[in-house]
Amino acid sequence: MRLEDFLLMRHELLLTLIAIIILIAEIFTDDFKKQGIRPLSIILMAIVTIVGFLPAPTGTLFGGMYQATDMRLMMKNILNIGALIVFIQSASWLKSDDNQNKVSEFFLLLISTLIGMNFMISSGDFLMFYLGLELATIPIAALAAYDRYSNKSSEAGIKLILISALSSGILLYGISMIYGTVGSVYFDKVSVAYGATPLQIMSFIFFFTGMAFKISIVPFHLWTADVYEGAPVNVTSYLSVVSKGAAVFIFSIMLVTVFQNIAAMWKDVMWITAAITMTLGNLFAMRQNNLKRFLAFSSISQAGFIMLGIIGGSELGMAAVVYYILVYIFSNLGAFGVIAAISNASGGKENMSDYDGLYKTNPALSLTLTLALFSLAGIPPVAGFFGKFFLFTAVAEKGYWWLLTIAVLNTIISLYYYLLPVKAMFINKAETSIAYFKSDGWTKVGLIICVAGMVIVGFASVIFEYIRTLSFGL
Amino acid sequence: MTFLFYLLAAVAILSALMVVFSRSPINSVIFLIICFLSIAGHYILLNAQFLAVVHIIVYTGAIMVLFLFVIMLLNLNTSNEPHKSQLTRITAVITGGLLLLVLIAATKDAVLIQAKNPADYNIGLVKQIGQTLFKQFLLPFEISSVLFISAMVGAVMLGKKDSKKN
Amino acid sequence: MSSESLILFFIVGVFLVGGAIVFSTFVPPSSVNPNKSDTYECGIPTKGLSWLQFNVGYYLFAILFLIFDVETVFIFPWAVVMKQLGMVAFIEILIFFVILGLGLLYAWKKHALIWE
Repeated sequence: MRLEDFLLMRHELLLTLIAIIILIAEIFTDDFKKQGIRPLSIILMAIVTIVGFLPAPTGTLFGGMYQATDMRLMMKNILNIGALIVFIQSASWLKSDDNQNKVSEFFLLLISTLIGMNFMISSGDFLMFYLGLELATIPIAALAAYDRYSNKSSEAGIKLILISALSSGILLYGISMIYGTVGSVYFDKVSVAYGATPLQIMSFIFFFTGMAFKISIVPFHLWTADVYEGAPVNVTSYLSVVSKGAAVFIFSIMLVTVFQNIAAMWKDVMWITAAITMTLGNLFAMRQNNLKRFLAFSSISQAGFIMLGIIGGSELGMAAVVYYILVYIFSNLGAFGVIAAISNASGGKENMSDYDGLYKTNPALSLTLTLALFSLAGIPPVAGFFGKFFLFTAVAEKGYWWLLTIAVLNTIISLYYYLLPVKAMFINKAETSIAYFKSDGWTKVGLIICVAGMVIVGFASVIFEYIRTLSFGL
Repeated sequence: MTFLFYLLAAVAILSALMVVFSRSPINSVIFLIICFLSIAGHYILLNAQFLAVVHIIVYTGAIMVLFLFVIMLLNLNTSNEPHKSQLTRITAVITGGLLLLVLIAATKDAVLIQAKNPADYNIGLVKQIGQTLFKQFLLPFEISSVLFISAMVGAVMLGKKDSKKN
Repeated sequence: MSSESLILFFIVGVFLVGGAIVFSTFVPPSSVNPNKSDTYECGIPTKGLSWLQFNVGYYLFAILFLIFDVETVFIFPWAVVMKQLGMVAFIEILIFFVILGLGLLYAWKKHALIWE
């Protein structure tokens, strides 16, 4: 190991370092000084996010086990931004009496999942990949049960840990079959030797199933709504954006590299599941009244849209996926940020009917939520439109016209339900709408970053062009 | 060797079936221990002696104790086990059977790669494991420490009573 | 060791244990009555279920034990190859120790090691 080698792993090493700093701060300070852990963690995370963007060498380490390419670094930076926004948005929620004595645990567990995700994205073999995946999912289950005195939160925790254990088991079974037929766990060796013997197809199906659980693609989505509803809002937002984004990133890389020999096959599988995912997610989202459940089903349908870019398989497709995740981070975190702010201020009001007449009392929050929902739906002025547009182009380029038709129809359906909360806020009359409240500084900063992101990422075409220069396809 | 393999495999499958079929969760755990022990036997047949010992210490020892604690924590009784309808059972049997069929069909024709040196008895020794673990697989080893610490923090956070709430 | 001796060892083991069980069923006089198979609780008739809910503290201790159990599993191969790998491996295991040691300190500080 030379010193430059450490520079390659700077994302992971810095995150580990701040995790250790937070742990030491928790161990060696008294109750009064613990107040400082909250701002300290956010500032450290901000520094790590900025440092991640600095230009640095690329290369591979440990005989190809760890790979740092420009694309993977970009993905890590996007995840860091998402995590930073979640940190900022959680600040005021963590100040409440119930959470005050487990602030550092919240940050510590989130950072360890982020370390796992970064290692997973940089992995060059199945062992690292699996270890990263485990590190990315196990602490999140503890966080889903964060609210210890709520039954729903505990339910979310146990459901998440059981589902992730099950899906990891299936995934590992698939990996074991790959190892059995190829004789190596390194991605470059597997991609060359991978054929289409029955056992290898079977191994891909197991692998796909395991990943589908993590991304919540339709036949494997049943856990999503309950977990998203039960977990605290800030954990839900992290789960729906950063966790899902990380899984999509590594999955899209692995499909075009490791499984390139059976591309025709996985495209068929993805075609069908993407169509079902978009449609069912939409149909269920229409019927929801609880906004967290609503966003859970919306995120299922969004996963279907994201799969369009992967099906394209071209470098345009990968660029579209990465760009869409970036947009999705800002939009979904904007929506969740508003819901979290309102839920904290009003003592847990999360139903759509509670939002009646919100524009009269809290105009700024209503406008932010509207913008976020527009972006999720893909309405032109905001970034979501461009994201969807590139995804559709990636599919159209390869001639998947039926899939494109289904996707466009689903976009139109989704417009209906994304506008339901907007209608509630602006048009519906309410006798007692949620009273005006003043959000604290952290919440404001978090929401401003989201709004700025939604606008800037959409209009600055440089960002998409830059991502496109990094991406690669089949 | 083949005789031992079939014997251990039969014990593993039978005890795994008993895990599912036992009425009492405690019995299930005991059968799971038998299943794990026979899998440890498989490790020895594959020349992975260290792995076999670790499997017995960690899985059959520590993790099974954890399982028992969790079962005692949950206060499970046979009476509050949810009733499964006939339809669920039939569907489960059909799906499970189909999966088994496909798996058998897939493995039947599989071309498995040859083991590099099956007669090398040194491969599973502690020395070999140490050499590979601290050179080739150094990074996963260090990551596992982060995994342990997050598991510890999560468990303490969830399991520790709040002194204030009492 | 050849596989024949293993098989022989196994057969002798099965025969001895099985033989002991078969022997003890046939040889001693048997008497069956309900009082004999009753749960023994200080000689008093049992009341209610003997299955009671455990304190969550047991679980906490078990999981802490488990983590350090796995740690020893990792230390053992290190100790065997320590001389060959030298300083590098020492630093590696030191990092591992420090991180897990911080975990123990954390549990200590949070009073997770005190029985309530």
